Amino acid sequence: MASVSPRLLDAIGTLVRLGLAVVWLVAGGIKAADLNQNYLAVKAYKVLPDGWVSPVAAAQPFLELALGVLLLVGVGVRAVAVLSAVLLLLFIAGVAQSWARGLTIDCGCFGGGGQVASDQTQYPQEIARDIGFLALAGWLAVRPRSWLSVDGWLHGGRPELADDHGGSGEPGAAHGRQPGDDGGGSEPKPAPPASAQEGR
Amino acid sequence: MGGAQRNARKQKQKQTQAAKAVAAARGSNNDRAKVIVGIVVVVVLAGAVIGGVLYQKQKATQRAEASIPPRTVAAANYPVKVDDGTVLAGKDDAKVTVDLYEDFLCPVCGQFEKRDGTKIEQQLEAGAIKVRYHMINLLDDRSDPPGYSSSAASAAMCAADGGKFPSYHLSLYDAQPQEGGRGYDETQLAGLGKALGASGDFENCVRGGKYKDQVAKQFATAQGNPALQQDNGQGGKSFGTPTVAVNGKLVKWSDPNWLDNVVKTGAAG
Repeated sequence: MASVSPRLLDAIGTLVRLGLAVVWLVAGGIKAADLNQNYLAVKAYKVLPDGWVSPVAAAQPFLELALGVLLLVGVGVRAVAVLSAVLLLLFIAGVAQSWARGLTIDCGCFGGGGQVASDQTQYPQEIARDIGFLALAGWLAVRPRSWLSVDGWLHGGRPELADDHGGSGEPGAAHGRQPGDDGGGSEPKPAPPASAQEGR
Repeated sequence: MGGAQRNARKQKQKQTQAAKAVAAARGSNNDRAKVIVGIVVVVVLAGAVIGGVLYQKQKATQRAEASIPPRTVAAANYPVKVDDGTVLAGKDDAKVTVDLYEDFLCPVCGQFEKRDGTKIEQQLEAGAIKVRYHMINLLDDRSDPPGYSSSAASAAMCAADGGKFPSYHLSLYDAQPQEGGRGYDETQLAGLGKALGASGDFENCVRGGKYKDQVAKQFATAQGNPALQQDNGQGGKSFGTPTVAVNGKLVKWSDPNWLDNVVKTGAAG
């Protein structure tokens, strides 16, 4: 663990965050552009009671867009990552139940959706893809730190302090340790020494 | 780092940073940032969900308030009557009867009507063919709320009773709702008949859904008829819309000359 550079982890985190942001923005954007199609896609899962299909189909694309925007700017990355994971788990459950019940539908994950021929279902691929996205969300839930995020900016340009503290579950990270470094001082250090702490 | 230099810098910054730093050391600054972030996340997500639902509601309301633009078939001087759950149109001495299976929500039926509707009317008017319209509810669950296919089919039969079927049929396809969207409700369907001048008990016929049972029966009959099954493009055979048949035999309507051929040969060809 200690051998992995925290900068590398931050770089990966940044790519993961932006990658998941793009996934949500594209998925939500395509759905929002054709809400009627999304109604059919949601309905095809045959999970929701009739009265719920319409509002869920209307809200879902915008929820995905919102998650994408929050990830893109990096606000509340951990919370958004956890919500993303929950949503992805629901999607996986939805696809799995369709598969198990023998429905023949397209997941409508990125537009489309609804009934397809029985030889055109792609349940394993759809679930595998969602698990991939789930891995991205999982990374950010465990280690939300990344570059170019509002979370970092909110903490005075020291994302390290912010997310270390709340984040990686490292006891004594950031504030806990730094005053000690400074000889009981009252001033947090600038970025580089702080980020070195991430070396675990 | 030189101690003196460092102390000097510290001194300068101390005034402004002391309070902040102490707070940070205690974690309160961090907590405040977390609260702000939490509020932002909740507001954005809730706004998206509520906004999406309201947007969809507003769109549905707009569609509910719109009236269906009436279109009139210029020359429709052929008899039209409701006959055993179908609408039979055409002059009595026409030799060929074309069976036409359609759903008012089906997009391909809309394309079919756009391409061939006028030609069919011309042949009806010329007395070359009769058309038996089987208006079915295959796509009942594809409107939001469900049931537009049934309502529209039943209303079109009411329009046949009211003497305005050709124009009513044309108007509904001309302003066809999208699958997955809101169809027209019975108020709108009744309004269209009124605008076209449908006579008799039209409005009550529409509002009471008088022919819905017969529509469903037509669908079941068609679906169970082996002669009407066709390749569904998905490796199987099934009944779909539109379907065109003459004397119980399928007509390949994808051929743009199908109608001319039927008129010429009097058979499905």
